[in-house]
Parts: sequence; C-alpha cells; structure tokens
Amino acid sequence: MRAQPDRLCAAAVAAVAIAAFAATYGFDEVPPGLAQGLGAAEFPRLVCLVLLGLAVLLALNPASRKPPPRVPAAGWGTMGLAIGFLPLMMVVGMLPAMLVFLIALGWLWGERRRGLLLGSAVGLVAGIWLVFVRLFALSLPGGWLGDRFFS
Amino acid sequence: MDAFLAGMATLTDPLILGMILAGTVLGIVVGALPGISGSTTIALLLPLTIGVSPIAALAFMGSVYCAANFGGSITAILVNAPGDPSSSATAIEGYRLAERGQAGLALGMSAVASAIGGIFSVVMLIFAAPLLARAAYSFGPPEYFALAVFGLSMCAAIGGDGRVKNLITAALGVLLATVGIDLTSGVERYSFGIMELSDGINFVPVLIGLFAVSEMLDQSTRRAEEPKLISMDAAKLPTGADFRKCGRAIGIGSVIGAFIGALPALGATTAALVGYNETQRWSKHKHEFGHGALEGVAGPEAANNAAVGGSMVPTLALGIPGSATTAIILAGLIVQGVRPGPHLFNEQPVLLYAVFASMLAANLLYLVLGLGMAKLFARISLIPPTLLWPAVFVLSVIGAYGPNQSMGDVVIMLVAGGVGFLFRRHGFSPAPLIMGLVLGGMLEEALKQSMIIFDQNPLGFAHRPIALLLLAVTLSGLLGPLLLRMLRVVRPQKEAV
Repeated sequence: MRAQPDRLCAAAVAAVAIAAFAATYGFDEVPPGLAQGLGAAEFPRLVCLVLLGLAVLLALNPASRKPPPRVPAAGWGTMGLAIGFLPLMMVVGMLPAMLVFLIALGWLWGERRRGLLLGSAVGLVAGIWLVFVRLFALSLPGGWLGDRFFS
Repeated sequence: MDAFLAGMATLTDPLILGMILAGTVLGIVVGALPGISGSTTIALLLPLTIGVSPIAALAFMGSVYCAANFGGSITAILVNAPGDPSSSATAIEGYRLAERGQAGLALGMSAVASAIGGIFSVVMLIFAAPLLARAAYSFGPPEYFALAVFGLSMCAAIGGDGRVKNLITAALGVLLATVGIDLTSGVERYSFGIMELSDGINFVPVLIGLFAVSEMLDQSTRRAEEPKLISMDAAKLPTGADFRKCGRAIGIGSVIGAFIGALPALGATTAALVGYNETQRWSKHKHEFGHGALEGVAGPEAANNAAVGGSMVPTLALGIPGSATTAIILAGLIVQGVRPGPHLFNEQPVLLYAVFASMLAANLLYLVLGLGMAKLFARISLIPPTLLWPAVFVLSVIGAYGPNQSMGDVVIMLVAGGVGFLFRRHGFSPAPLIMGLVLGGMLEEALKQSMIIFDQNPLGFAHRPIALLLLAVTLSGLLGPLLLRMLRVVRPQKEAV
C-alpha cells in the first residue's frame, strides 16, 4: 500500500504516453515526394515508447513514500483564485483583476492588516502600470468593462 | 584578444553596468527570500530582457544567477531557512555560528568564499569554454544527438525523489518540444487545431508556470512559519587566521563546484552538498563540524558559486544547459535569436566575452554589497508570505502575457503551474522538463540528420567514436546504479548459501 502513489503516477504517465502515441496516427500524411528519413510521427513515437518504458520502471521500483498530504482549504482557495483570475480579467481588465487578486489571496492566506494589504496591492499594481504600460508601452487587456467605458 | 578587450569594454556602457547592478541586487534579494530561487526570478523576469540587446540580457541574467547563490546564504545563516536550495549546506554550519554570536564572521566568510569561487569559475569559463567550443567545432549531427542524450541522462541526478522520475519529466519535456509544425515536413503535431500551438509551445509561460506559479500553489498548502531573524553584528571581513584555516576549504569547494557545474544538468545545489562533504573529509578540524565550523560555510559557498561559471561552460560552448537555471538562460537566448554553441565563439565573440566580464563584475559587486549590506538584505526575508506570493502570481501573469501579448500564453502558464504543482506533490522535479523542452528540438533535428547521414541505419553511430563514447557514458551512467543494486541483491544471497 505504501508504494501506491508512485504506481498511480506511473499509470498516469503511461496513459499520457499511450494517448500521445495514438495521437501520432492522426497527423497528416507526408506526401511521398517529401518523405525522407524519419517522418513527423516517428520521433514523437520514439519518445512515447521511452516514456512508457520509464513508467513501467517506476511501477516496478516505486519509492516507499507516504502519499502527499491533503490540500488544505487555503490551497484549494488559491487554485480557485488563480483559475478565476482569467474570467475576472476578461470582465474588469488585467490591472483591476490583479488588485482584486492581491487583496483576496492575501486575505485568504491570513493577512488581516487591512492598510498593509491594500497599500501593498495598490503600490504593486501602480508599479506594474508604471513599468509595463508607461515605460514598455505594453497594452494590457482592458476587459469587457474597459472596452465599454474607455475605448 | 580584440574580442576579449571589446567584451571587457562593454563594462563601460552605462546600460550594461546598470543591468549588472540591478541583476546583482535583485539576485541577492530573491536569493534571500525563501522559496524564490534564482531560476524562478530569471524565469519571471525573462520577458523584461526581450526588449534589450542580447549582451544586456545576458549580463542581467548572469548577474542574477551569480548573486542569488550568495543571497541564499544570508538567510541560511541568519534564519536557518536557505533562501536558495544551493545554500542548504551552508545553513548546517552557518546557523550554528550565528547562534554562537558569530553571524557577522559567517556572513563575511560566505561573501568572500562565494566571490573567490565565482571568480575562479569565471576564469575557468574564459579558458575552458573556447577550448571546448573548438573541440566541438568538428561535431556533426550524430555527436550533437549523443551530446543531447547525455545531457538529458544527467537530468537523472537533478533532484526530486528519484532518477526514473527525473527522466520521465525530461522525456515529457522532449515530447512537449514536438508540439507544433514539424519543420522538415510541415505536418502539424499535437496542436489539435489550436492556432497558438502551431508555432510550438513558448518557453517563457511554461518556465514561469513551472517555477513561479507551481511554487506559489505549493506554498499555499503549507503554513509557513514566521521567520525569526537572529541578532547579528554587521558582516565582518575574515582575518588572516580565518583565511589560513579556510583556504583549503575554499580551494576544494571552488574546484569541485566548477567541475560539477560543468557537467550537464548538475548545478549549484549538488556542488554545494558535495563541497560540504569533501570539505569535512579533508578538514583538519573535523570535530568542529556540526557545531559551527567556519570551513563548513566556506567550502559549500565557494562550491555553489563556482558551479555558476562551470554550468555556463556547456551552455555557451555546446548549447547544452549545465543546470536548471542555465536552461532558462538558454531559453532566454533562443527567444533573443541567439543559439549558443561552438559557432557562437566565431560569430559573436564579443557577446561571450561581455558575458564573462559581466559575471566577473557581478562577483565583485556582491562581495562589496554582501559585506556592506548583509543586515539590510536579511530583513527581506521578513516580508510576510501573505504579501509576497500573491505578488509573485501577479508578476507571473504579466511575465507570461508580456512577450507576445497573448492570453493563450497566460493559459499555458496556468496549466504549467498546475502541472508543476502536481509534479512537486509527487516528488517530480520540474527542472528536467525544462531541459527536455530546450533540448528536444535539437535532439530531433540531430537524430533526423544523423539517420540521413547513416542511410537510415542506426548502427552508423558505431562508426563515430565521439558519439559512441558519449552514448556509452550515458548508458553506463543510467544502467550503472541498476547493476550495482542487482549485485548487492545477488551477493547476500550467495553468502547465505
């Protein structure tokens, strides 16, 4: 039972290798006139076979390690905020989304000094605006709201 | 000689000097921050270097790389929390010295040993890299294929839980490198009709995701302890007696670090650990180890900084990364349109000597900054993680978006971050994936060209001595530990009979 995490990893790697190997049969055919030596599919297939062999080796020699500890609520919350950043950015734009993210994640991780949290978030976003927008002339996504009200 | 002087002359350019100063200060700062390594910083700031010349970009990245190893020793000594993995060996003796009230001496020795190790390795780089490049000038596709295979096989020793896991991540990196249009046939591979994947997977978002975002996710699962700064005096320059005591340790560390660094894939962390062990083995004061031995600071610090110059040797001379950080620097150079390898020494010698000069300058600069401002840098480790890690994510987003101004790259960064987080939880190191991604293209191209040269007969490798030697070394390196384990199993059985 102790070796189960590595065996699961080996199974996942083997699944990736088999799926990638199978996908090579969906590549377009190379016209015979252009076909010379190793084609487009042979090298990825070779890598998939190596990967499969390594997965078998891992399954046969798993390290005796404990399963990783459960992800705490703060961990899931962080992942949720990271994933939610994209849709939020599409609505409010990149800089406001960053501000919301900085405050929300800091709060989630236990920062309760409101002034420090807000001040550091505003300071960082202002710094990013100064360096990337003003200095490097990078155009950041304005989001649905930005497009609606500022363009 | 002209190229050497021209390279040195770049140090008079205010922009280059500014990049070296910024890189050194930033390197010490991030090195001192537990969790943020030099490789993470270079990955994060890679987009900033795209807008400047290759010389300025390399000067900046090289300075961060040099200074981060030293920065890591500050918190290793004062907080017992190595800011950079390469400083973990320093913490063993350095923190004991700090507890005994000798933090200033430990920091001073760390700065001096780091600078000596770093300068030794840059001098070695100046002499060894052109020699290696000249030797590699006659290399053809079979030799490059064998070299890339050798480099990838060295990933087995990078870190994480085991050799097989490292090789798996390296192979996954090579597989990722095949995504996009195959340049010889024009066939699209693994792009699944997504336009952003047709040109292949960009290095930058993958690097940022794997190193910065995954580290943030990993930190979110641990409750970080509030770091406590031990009271200290200002860093002290070691006395003549200290030097006499630690001279051997610095010498051993410098030579070991430069050698280990020059081996593909092995970097500063391995060098520091081996440096610590060898320093202890050859020390006349073995009894001091474990109780705060100054030699135990000098040896690993000289080793981890010597590994920096050492790891640049295969990176610049052969195009094979000497460590995870140099894999990122290599990716940065490729993004800049510069392909390191033996031809670079003929085509752009000034660029190379400018890199050597900037690394020398960075080593001298962090010696001055380290001795003068160690106490201030140590305070950086007190930045609360509740403010630090959200900022890292925000900088990751801008770093991934910036180079191509593409939302697709932000998505790739997030996916890479999730994959990197899974890797870390299950004992896989993300560094070999970068090695695979960087070397994958070269590996495939060299194999295809070799097979054309050999008329599709793989036995053709047997007629190329250098390629054959490299493949034999690779095979023995991979199978050696397995055979040793089998021997260990068989022997006790025989004895029992």
